[in-house]
Amino acid sequence: MALQDLCNLQEVFPDTGHSQFGKRSYSESCFSGSSSDPFTFCIPAAEFLEQSPLQFGQGSSAFTSQDLLLSSLSWPPGLPQDSPQSVPLPFPMSHGTTTLAFLFQGGVLAAADTRSSCSGLVACPASQKVLPIHSHMVGTTSGTSADCALWKRILARELRLYQLRHGRRLSTGGAAKLLSHMLHPFKGSELCVAATLCGWDGGDLDQDQQPTQGGARPDPSHPVSQSSVNAQQSSGRTRSSGPSLYYVCSDGTRLQGSLFSVGSGSPYAYSILDQGVRWGLTLQEATSVAREAVYRATHRDAYSGNCVDVFHVSSAGWSRRSREDLREEYYRERERRERERRESE
Amino acid sequence: MTVRRPFPLSHGTTTLGFIFQGGVIAAADTRASAGGLVACPAVNKITPIHSHLVVTSSGSGADCMLWERILGREIRLYQLRHRRCLSIRGTAKLLSFMLHPFKGTDVCVALTLCGWDKSGPKLIYVCSDGARLQGDIFSVGSGSPYAYGVLDGRLRWNLSKEEAVSLAREAVFRATHRDAYSGNNVDLFHITAQGWSQRKREELKEEYYRDMERRAKTVEKGKRETVLDALG
Repeated sequence: MALQDLCNLQEVFPDTGHSQFGKRSYSESCFSGSSSDPFTFCIPAAEFLEQSPLQFGQGSSAFTSQDLLLSSLSWPPGLPQDSPQSVPLPFPMSHGTTTLAFLFQGGVLAAADTRSSCSGLVACPASQKVLPIHSHMVGTTSGTSADCALWKRILARELRLYQLRHGRRLSTGGAAKLLSHMLHPFKGSELCVAATLCGWDGGDLDQDQQPTQGGARPDPSHPVSQSSVNAQQSSGRTRSSGPSLYYVCSDGTRLQGSLFSVGSGSPYAYSILDQGVRWGLTLQEATSVAREAVYRATHRDAYSGNCVDVFHVSSAGWSRRSREDLREEYYRERERRERERRESE
Repeated sequence: MTVRRPFPLSHGTTTLGFIFQGGVIAAADTRASAGGLVACPAVNKITPIHSHLVVTSSGSGADCMLWERILGREIRLYQLRHRRCLSIRGTAKLLSFMLHPFKGTDVCVALTLCGWDKSGPKLIYVCSDGARLQGDIFSVGSGSPYAYGVLDGRLRWNLSKEEAVSLAREAVFRATHRDAYSGNNVDLFHITAQGWSQRKREELKEEYYRDMERRAKTVEKGKRETVLDALG
């Protein structure tokens, strides 16, 4: 597998040989102990604590961009440092970013700024904080960029495997649970991932080409609607379809909701979103509320800034608005206020 | 050198002040918190000092009350000695110098002086760390980011008085909605060349219920439409 080779899993787990894609559920393999299972990196971390040469803490603040992650591939993947009290953090990490996501009638809207900061230095002014996971799900990232990028890839791989094995996409709630359980062994370490998973839960893969008018999709378990619903739906469990939003954090939080904003700029965004987000927004109105919220947050928060990315997830998949530099917005607003001030005098 | 604080004080409050064409608006919530306890749900965080100056307080409640009284006394003494009112900038400087000997101790006072003097409307932020800043818009406290988000977007110079009042109310409401240490009621003062006037204290519970009803109506409408789409 590509990721496995990339991360040199064979070197770390010499006893695993070729992967066994059995029928066991993921949670089983998590707690099966040190058997010859390819996914043993997710068992309780005790085994790896002695092995990790990786320095978290002081050094980790340098890993702030995805490119940096890809270029330092020789380390064993995702293994945490022994105990958090060994290296004190130089400053309280505060998820220097602004990301937000909310549900509305047209799907899910996710937006984020693009500044990667490293305690005062803007390490990258054009990073991508909203990462697509599969065709109908995106995830916003906050926390340590390196950790988020890695775990998003791992999650994408696991979801793809699930899709191949079971013939349908895992729901957003299921993906959230999966991510949460994968992160659980690292609880208490300095891993820092706060992601919101924004997805559209649909029916089978072959229902993807449904024509949509931006409204809600017909429920695939409704007996009247789809005659093409095949036996895979007959498990008796009703599957909800439609937009879905979950917040997953590396300290174990997993919350479902209709509006989330994460990061140091989130309070500024929350007040704008609380005012403007309603179920009945059109896509245009929702985009403008999201842009405004990120703009206000970047205006006041030092750790957020540069550009804004807006993603929209609907029944037809995710789509991305072109990245917009907020500097222009700032100048436009300043001009507008100058003009108003002059007019009033 | 002193007793360690059991928890980091975070100015659990939301106060704000801004200048517009009709004068100065000062607004604040009324919750006094002590760690996780709401020590008092009906505190006055905006205190008039004289006819044309009010002070919004944030930080340690006891410290703020004391320093407001001291400031009021000093202003009155100045007025009696020199037969004129001290300017707002002078007041801020005086307060800042009075607080200076306590810099580095646990005195925690963050005041916004909102007033009107000979040079027009003034808004000055004074803090026990030594900061003294003049500006057009300030919000102080744990709820201030939430208030800033609302104010930055909608504040204009040429707002009418009603719009300015409703903007200040909305900003405090949004902050109390999200911040655990702010809440209960909102106080609002308006300062003009004629002096300060106080709006009746308003409980935010009503505002919250109105907001929830409005949202419930739109969600219901949305859901009904969704079901109709699914069946149709």
